[in-house]
Amino acid sequence: MPGKERGAGGPLAGIRVLDVSIMAAGPWTGALLGMLGAEVIKVEPPAGDGTRWVMPTQKGMGTNFISMNVNKKNMTLDLKRSDDRAAALALLGTCDVFVQNFRGGVIERLKLDYESVRAVSPRLIYCSISGFGETGPLSKAGCADPIMQAFSGFARANGAPGEGVEAFRFTGFIDLTTAAVATEAILAALLEREQTGAGQKVEISMLEAALEIQYTRIAELLGAGLVPVPRGSASPALAPDRAYAALDRYIFLTVHSDHEWSKFCAAIEQPTLAADPRFLTNQSRVENREALDAAIEPVLQSRPAIWWLRVLQRHGVAAGLAHDFETFRHHAQVIDNEMIARLDTLHWGEISVGGVPWHFSRTPCVVRPPATPGENSEEILAGLPTVAASGRAGRSDA
Amino acid sequence: MLDGVKIVEFAEGAAGPLAATRLADLGAAVIKIETADGDWMREAVPAMAQDGMSASFFHLNRGKRSLALGHRPEEAAPLLRALLASADVFITDRAADELERLGIGAVSEEIYADNPRLVSVHISPLGRKGPMARQRGSELTTQAMAGYTRYLGTQEQPPLRLGADVASTGTGIFAAQAVMAALYRRNRDGRGQRVDLSLLNSLLSMKSIHLAAQSDPDVYSGPRVGGANNPPERGWKTADKPIFFAFGGSVGAEGRAGWVDFAQEAGLTRFLDDPRFDKTGRTTTGHGIRVHELREEYEKEFARFPAEALVSLIRKHAGNAAAYVSSDETMAHPQTAALGIVKEVAMRGGGKTRVRAFPARFSRMKPPLKDGTPHLGEHTEAIAAEAGITGPAFAKMIDSGGLLPRAGNA
Repeated sequence: MPGKERGAGGPLAGIRVLDVSIMAAGPWTGALLGMLGAEVIKVEPPAGDGTRWVMPTQKGMGTNFISMNVNKKNMTLDLKRSDDRAAALALLGTCDVFVQNFRGGVIERLKLDYESVRAVSPRLIYCSISGFGETGPLSKAGCADPIMQAFSGFARANGAPGEGVEAFRFTGFIDLTTAAVATEAILAALLEREQTGAGQKVEISMLEAALEIQYTRIAELLGAGLVPVPRGSASPALAPDRAYAALDRYIFLTVHSDHEWSKFCAAIEQPTLAADPRFLTNQSRVENREALDAAIEPVLQSRPAIWWLRVLQRHGVAAGLAHDFETFRHHAQVIDNEMIARLDTLHWGEISVGGVPWHFSRTPCVVRPPATPGENSEEILAGLPTVAASGRAGRSDA
Repeated sequence: MLDGVKIVEFAEGAAGPLAATRLADLGAAVIKIETADGDWMREAVPAMAQDGMSASFFHLNRGKRSLALGHRPEEAAPLLRALLASADVFITDRAADELERLGIGAVSEEIYADNPRLVSVHISPLGRKGPMARQRGSELTTQAMAGYTRYLGTQEQPPLRLGADVASTGTGIFAAQAVMAALYRRNRDGRGQRVDLSLLNSLLSMKSIHLAAQSDPDVYSGPRVGGANNPPERGWKTADKPIFFAFGGSVGAEGRAGWVDFAQEAGLTRFLDDPRFDKTGRTTTGHGIRVHELREEYEKEFARFPAEALVSLIRKHAGNAAAYVSSDETMAHPQTAALGIVKEVAMRGGGKTRVRAFPARFSRMKPPLKDGTPHLGEHTEAIAAEAGITGPAFAKMIDSGGLLPRAGNA
């Protein structure tokens, strides 16, 4: 059974993580490490992580909180109190990874900055997550997902052709991207520790993560000077590669190579297109994009999307239809590959969250519901003899 | 770091190559296997001014060596098996039946028998199992299938995609994690394993907040349940570029405090007594539903300010703000320079070009970025020789079509 205890099945079984972060970018880092099998302890201040109250709630608990804190234990500590800070430091002595995303200056005031913590735990991987990074003119500036969408150029690449900008109305995507990059960096530091025995500080910013998720667009910018602009559903790199109106609705399709182009022409029964010198290579199809679309659009518009889906699939060309939550949550493809996890929670009912992104054959990962706030405070403190003896027991109802 | 780790990559596009390049930046040595036509990303537009190589291909394949298969690639099966027998990591996006034909199928019982320490990472568009496992997919089709395109544009207009290749690059990041997590485990118990990822899976994993919000909400309220039906979000217009701004912390929990000072300094005092701007500030200082109704009121006043002046003023009063810029402006920003995000690397044919550094800073590790991106099959002979295939054996593999002869060697 994938256990509730330390060392559930994943590849990081045996690793212990202390996660004092709030909101999304930090917490999902802890969640990913938890999904990978680490034992993750989320520490909340007495007032609680603000996401508990972000709408919408499910049976009173913020759904944001539930989704960002899967696979974690939960304890309450008031890091501004010296005894609780001492408990946190004692805990860090038992941990491999620390995740924090306090705003610049706060962690130093709490004396939980890297230099202070390293003295206690030199093997610790200390992961610090910020908006704009820890040096530079904006190192103290506040950040949030839509701010970074604007600042990083992410939003500038979205929209209909000719428009200025359009933000992704799917808040939190840059936060989750930041968590994914943070986890990548933490894993690199853990592997390095295998060789040197020493921990280190790992700094992640939303800015660098937002640029990493734009990797190809930034490559085009730095390598060829092409500035990203809104292109509707098309891409600068390939053609055809966009949504086309079929008789009833849109079909999304991509031709990656010249080989696929000939397959595509066969699928839509247009052999003359395959021989048209304007369209022989991807580069020429991109250059003659308007003529290409003018040739394809009326053909695709003549039959329903399902027809094109069938023939394009038969010919090995990437094609798909748009889905929404109601149409994919019960989809066999999603369920068979466990892309969405359905959790039975103790207090908040059944809830769907993202499934694990990696499926390990020998050390499978599972998504587990988050602990209730404060649920594990006593058990975790009891495991720290120095703290248990220090009289903190008087607050064990925290 | 990953010095001494040998990776064999047989993948194209962005996902697998990105994972391998970031692992190369951390020290791994990467052999890139390509079919005779080459990775399709080699043909992607635009090309680098200096040498005509696809810019995306260059950035996604820095520091690798390329081995090109010929038109009868099954003739190279012994070489492929030898490469995997001595590799630590195999990253591939090839279909199971293609790998089978090349004698490295199922990453298979034989290979694990030869090399039980191999970590083998398989990337597909739509998942390893299920009714659509064998279907093709792309960045665009998976964005549509995962419901991402619903959060741009409107229902009435033609669909839009996210300009960033989020499905492929996201999967590349997860694949790099998978490799390192499996290597970590291998250090404990000496054994590798197979890991499966897909573009569709990555997008749904990263949709966790929205999936949870839509599960069974107490009240149907907020951007996470209604966002797909909201109007396009294009920020607040100013004298030049639009901005995004918010007061009261990243979700408005701290209310109106800094906003009042900002309103006074920016000459928006008429807002202070306007009953439409509520006294808590939680839904009118940049956040919440009411803010859409009040956007025009802000824009009437913001028209007097260039975006950057407004952004500075908002930050001065503890608000969060940024102008919507294109990424060339991001790259030129002093903050980007301060973080050392852009570095120069050498190109194979001479000259230098700018690339992005590893996306994290470590206090002790300093990943040196790999430079140079290989031409198709540039290292075929050297790689074969390292695997013990030289002289007549190598010539035979070329002649039989197993490997692609080097261009110009006819």
